Amino acid sequence: MTMLRAERIDVVLHGRAIVSDASVTLRPGELTALVGPNGAGKTTLMRALAGLLPANGSIRLKDRPLADFTLRERARSIAYLPQGNVFHWPLDVAAVVALGRHPHADPFSPLTGTDRAAVAHALAAAQIEDLAERIVTTLSGGERARVALARVLATEADILFADEPTASLDPRHQLVVMDLLRGIARRGGAVLAIIHDLGLAARFADRVLVMQRGRIVADAAPREALSDARLADVFGIAVAQVDSGDGVMPVPLRPV
Amino acid sequence: MTRFPDFRLNLALVALLLALALASLAIGPAALSPRTVFDALMTGDGVPGLIVREIRLPRTLLALAIGGTLGLSGAALQGLVRNPLAEPALFGAPQAAAAAASFVIAFGFFPATSFAVPFAAIAGALVSIGGLVAIAGRRASLTVTLLAGLALASFAGAATALALNLAPNPFAAIEIAFWLLGSLQDRSSEHLYLATPFLALGCVLMALNARAFRALTLGEDAATSLGVNVDMVRLRVVIGVALGVGAAVAVVGAIGFVGLVAPHLVRRAVGSDPARVMLPGALAGAALLLAADIAVRLVPGPVEIKLGVVTALIGVPFFLVMIFAERRALQGSAS
Repeated sequence: MTMLRAERIDVVLHGRAIVSDASVTLRPGELTALVGPNGAGKTTLMRALAGLLPANGSIRLKDRPLADFTLRERARSIAYLPQGNVFHWPLDVAAVVALGRHPHADPFSPLTGTDRAAVAHALAAAQIEDLAERIVTTLSGGERARVALARVLATEADILFADEPTASLDPRHQLVVMDLLRGIARRGGAVLAIIHDLGLAARFADRVLVMQRGRIVADAAPREALSDARLADVFGIAVAQVDSGDGVMPVPLRPV
Repeated sequence: MTRFPDFRLNLALVALLLALALASLAIGPAALSPRTVFDALMTGDGVPGLIVREIRLPRTLLALAIGGTLGLSGAALQGLVRNPLAEPALFGAPQAAAAAASFVIAFGFFPATSFAVPFAAIAGALVSIGGLVAIAGRRASLTVTLLAGLALASFAGAATALALNLAPNPFAAIEIAFWLLGSLQDRSSEHLYLATPFLALGCVLMALNARAFRALTLGEDAATSLGVNVDMVRLRVVIGVALGVGAAVAVVGAIGFVGLVAPHLVRRAVGSDPARVMLPGALAGAALLLAADIAVRLVPGPVEIKLGVVTALIGVPFFLVMIFAERRALQGSAS
C-alpha cells in the first residue's frame, strides 16, 4: 500500500522547467529524505506533491487523484512544514500550535477536547510545553523551529512534508527533530523531509531521494543513494564514509 | 480557548458604544438631558422627538455603522497582508471611491442620494483594492503594497481634482469639496437606508475570513496546506472592503485612518490574534468615529469642523508613531 504516489511530475515556473519527470512513492512507516544541492528543485517538488503548485503528471493520495480531494480533506491527510518558520503575528505558542487543528475544526466552534489533546501531545512531542505561553516571535531560531514542527504534528496527518526541519537547530535539537520524524514514520506515517545534513539523512532516513537539476537521480537506501561516486557527481564533494556505530554516514571532506 | 474568549473586552466596548450613543443623541445645538433623549426616542413627541429621531439618531447610527465597517476593513486588510500598518486609506480605497463618486456628483447625472453614488464609490474602491492586491501579488511584500497604494491614492487624487476641474458649475465643485472632507452633518435616515445594505454585506464578507487570517500567520503556503483557499479569501476581502469603504465614502465622504487606529487599540488585548481582533476592532472603530463626531459638535465656532479632517489629524500622527515603534521590524522586512 502506498500513501502517496506521484509519477512523472513536471513543474514549470515562469517558463523554466524546475522539476522534470520526477516520480516519488511514499509508503507508511517510512522516513524519506530528499537531498540535493541548492536550486535542485527540492522545495518545488515538495510543494507540487503537497498540491501547492500546479504540476503535470499524476499524483495519487491513498489511491485517489490528489485533485479529487477538497482542500480541507487534503489538509487532514498532508501536513506541510515550509522553510523558514515564518510567523507574521506575535501569537502565543499554544495558539500557533492550535493552527494545526484548522483542517479539523468546525468554523464556528472553538477547539474540541480532541483538538486540545492533539495540541498538548504536539507540544510534548516537540519538547516545548514550557514555551506554550510565550510569544512566538520572541523565541530563538531553534525554539521557533520546534514550534513550527509542533504545529504540523498537531494536524495528525498521516503524511508529513517538512522542508529543512533541522535548519537553524543546534546538534541536540537536530537529533530531537529527526527522532521525532522517524517516530511519526514508525507509527505508520509517511514522512518526506528535505535535509541538507547528509549525515542526518544517512542515519535517520529509511530511503533517500537525490535530486539534481530538477531530476531525481537516486531513490534508494541511504548507503546506496549517498555513495561516494554519486556525492561527487551531484554535490561536487569528496566524502569519508564513517561508521558511527549506528550506521555509515558520509562526512564531507572537500569540494572536487 | 473558551467559546467567547474576549467576552469582557467586547462587553466593555459595547457599553462604551451605548454611552457614546446616548451622548451623541443628547449633544448638539439644542442640548437635551438624558431623560429627555430617552423619552423623545421612545415617543417621538414634540420638538425633542423630532430632533432625536429625525436628526441625531440617523447621524449616530451612521457613525456606528460606518466606524464599525472601517474598523473591520482595517482588521481585514491587516489580516490579509499580515501587517498591522495596512489601512484602506493607505491603499487608496477611499480616495478612489471619492474620485468615482465625485464624477457622478459633478456631472449631476443623478440626485446625490440615489444609489448611483454608492455604486460609483464601491466600483472605485473595488478597482483600487483589486488593483492593489493584483500588483502586490501573492507574497504581498509591504514595500510593494505601500508603493502601489501610494500610486493608486495619488492617481485617485488626480482624478478627483479632474472632476472638480471639469465640474460644470461652482456649486457642484463646492459641494464636492465639502463632501470630500467627510462629515456626518445633515445626514438623514435616507442615507442610512442607502448605505446599510452595502455596509452589512461588506462586513459579512470580511468577517467570514477570521479563521483564515489566523492561519495566514504562517504564510500563504502553510495556510493553503491547512485547507485555506487563499485566493477565495483575497477575493472576499477585496470585495468586502470595497463594499464597506465605498458605501461609507458615498454617504460621509472620505474618512481615513479609523481602520488603522481601531484594530491597533485592541490588538494587545486579544493576543495579536488576527481573527479575534476583528470584532473588538469593529467596535473600537464605531466608538472612535462616534466620539470624533461628538467632538466636532462640541468645538465652538460658526463652522463645524469636518469629521474626515479630525480623523486624519488624529490618524496621521498616530500612524507616524506606529512607524516609529515598528521601525526596526520594518527595516528588516523592507526587502
